[in-house]
Amino acid sequence: MDIFLLFISAIFVNNIVLAQYLGNCPYLGCSKEKSVSIGMGAAVIFVTIMATLFTFLIQKHVLLPFNLGYLQTIVFILVIAALVQFVEMFLKKMVPPLYKALGIFLPLITTNCAVLGVAILVQRKEYDFVTSLLYAVAAGTGFMLALVVLAGIRERFEITRIPRAMRGVPIGLIMAGIMSLAFMAFKGMIA
Amino acid sequence: MASMMKEFTKGLWNELPPFRLVLGLCPVLAVTTTANNGLGMGAAVIFVLSLSNVIISLVRNIIPKKVRIVCFIAIAASLVVTVEMLMQAFAYPLYQQLGIFVPLIVVNCIILGRAEAFAAKNPPHLALADGLGMGIGFTLSLTFLGSLREIFGSGTWFGVSLFGPDFQPFTFMVQAPGAFVCLGLILAGMNFLNVWQAKRKGVELDPNFDAGCAGCAACKGLEKIVNQKKLERLEAAKG
Amino acid sequence: MITVSVLTLFSLGFASAGILAIASKVLYVEEDPRIEVVTEALPGANCGGCGFAGCEAYAAAVINDPDMPPNKCCAGGPDVAAKVAELTGKAAGDSEPEVAFRRCVKVEGNVAKKFDYFGIQSCSAAKLLQDGPDACKYSCLGFGDCVRACPFDAMWIEGDLVHIAPDKCTSCGTCVRTCPNSILELIPRRARVMVFCSSQDKGKAVKDVCDAGCISCGACIKKCPAQCISLVDERIFIDHKACLAYGPSCEEVCVEKCPRNILRCLNPDLIAEAPDTEPARYPEESHVADLNA
Repeated sequence: MDIFLLFISAIFVNNIVLAQYLGNCPYLGCSKEKSVSIGMGAAVIFVTIMATLFTFLIQKHVLLPFNLGYLQTIVFILVIAALVQFVEMFLKKMVPPLYKALGIFLPLITTNCAVLGVAILVQRKEYDFVTSLLYAVAAGTGFMLALVVLAGIRERFEITRIPRAMRGVPIGLIMAGIMSLAFMAFKGMIA
Repeated sequence: MASMMKEFTKGLWNELPPFRLVLGLCPVLAVTTTANNGLGMGAAVIFVLSLSNVIISLVRNIIPKKVRIVCFIAIAASLVVTVEMLMQAFAYPLYQQLGIFVPLIVVNCIILGRAEAFAAKNPPHLALADGLGMGIGFTLSLTFLGSLREIFGSGTWFGVSLFGPDFQPFTFMVQAPGAFVCLGLILAGMNFLNVWQAKRKGVELDPNFDAGCAGCAACKGLEKIVNQKKLERLEAAKG
Repeated sequence: MITVSVLTLFSLGFASAGILAIASKVLYVEEDPRIEVVTEALPGANCGGCGFAGCEAYAAAVINDPDMPPNKCCAGGPDVAAKVAELTGKAAGDSEPEVAFRRCVKVEGNVAKKFDYFGIQSCSAAKLLQDGPDACKYSCLGFGDCVRACPFDAMWIEGDLVHIAPDKCTSCGTCVRTCPNSILELIPRRARVMVFCSSQDKGKAVKDVCDAGCISCGACIKKCPAQCISLVDERIFIDHKACLAYGPSCEEVCVEKCPRNILRCLNPDLIAEAPDTEPARYPEESHVADLNA
């Protein structure tokens, strides 16, 4: 039951991009085409899971025993950067179809608030290992959901008349705001 | 000296982040619930940006090209940890308000973007001017957006109540949707200004120029991907 | 304290660097350098005319597949075909230069509107609403999906119909794939005759909605001495290769015998030239959609 609540909370109530403001840059950049957004969403889920896994282990076994909590930021970001680099090479060699599908997005999300944000968030919320991984899956799914819905809407925008000043990012942001308003309705789901 | 002034002032209007040079939107939306938070975050970014620019400019000839980005990240991360600890020591309430976004300064596109685009190619004094200019511009923008949201959303400014106790605040502004809509409207305003300026000067405006994510080199690669995917979609539809 | 943190960071750094260095050797992927050379030779427009998703995809295909012809890039034309042939060591066959053609003359045929359309200004959207606002459901809808799809800016909307600039058209075929009514077709630039209608109806059904449309009477099919005209998918199909091979000795008897004058002769300047004014980018700027009229 708790897991179910965790998923609902992470995907709908506290959606990582619409309620927690993490990952806005790729959100606006990748939401122009539905297929690109699906690829990006899948890549974010994939990288977030791996990043949370590795950073959790390093925090538990390296940083805490040696009282190096203050190095968290540096170590996390370096680990994530190295990890994504490694994963890209691994996929290119071992799983070429997967590389074709999401390889191009991997460098884009290395230095992304969403991935580092989730890694730090699970530390601050003091989740255990399994809960952190589940949270990572849920957060990534929430990101993908918000991204795909916005992409669907923005594709329609291509053929409607929008005032000159609003075209591009401004109307995308306003649409994101309206979506965020819609997602706020889910707050009542969890008593 | 004149070139230093030029680099400094360009961050104040011409390439004002994040309104003209759309970079680093994550903290912009999150911390601007009050003007005070915006100012505090801006101050942290000035510190990190200017120092990282100087350091990167000093070591730019020593770092090998392949590990460039990782080195920039390492330098920026060290500075962010310093800022984090300074904040925890001297401005704890601010640290609590900013929450997770203090360590996220390290992945702020402004830091990495300016490092790659400017500091890696210019001498330290120019890099310092650029960093300071961008940082101050960023602070001004954040404070402006924060003030806007605070005045309409809570009826206060820097904590000082403006309209008295009977004022019904427009709470929408301090919540997530208000942030998006507010920023969207400001960017639309900047676009409108560009169009009006171009018309006044009689200059033909590049139709592809819009306030959009163009600052991040990562996103530029997306155009190619988007075109490719569009073609694949057409193939599948008619194929 | 300091030593511990410095040591930890150093060891983490060295470990990551070591793992990445080993990985880059172990997981090294051989990439054919010829692919990049061929990609450079191609125009780089990623128009999709070759049938591949982008120039790099075609370059990979032409290098790896021995049967892939080197002249599939229509945007680049014969020069690029020759260059690719040279780089891949294949023989460049001769390809017939083509151009896009609109099979609809609804304005001439006085096709009425079934209803006023105020929906999304897109052909595919309009088609969803009872096959579009025109009385003939196979007509050119005129909202400009093809105009927006064309990577070479060779099309524009004027008078509710699409027009093609033959000097800019590279016959990439993107517009053909985009049109929801399939009224666009690629024909050889040397084509002698063409049918100006894509209706799949016959006889009275066509006459009721359009004064000019093809009624599929079959006169042209019977009369052609080279037998290059046929009915495909309920529409007239002309095999231009056979027609050109037969030559002018038939004196275009198909055109003479067409009762509706919808099968017509084409002259070398077959489609109107580009206008002097800037072509419309958004359909409502040229489409007759004045809400106050």
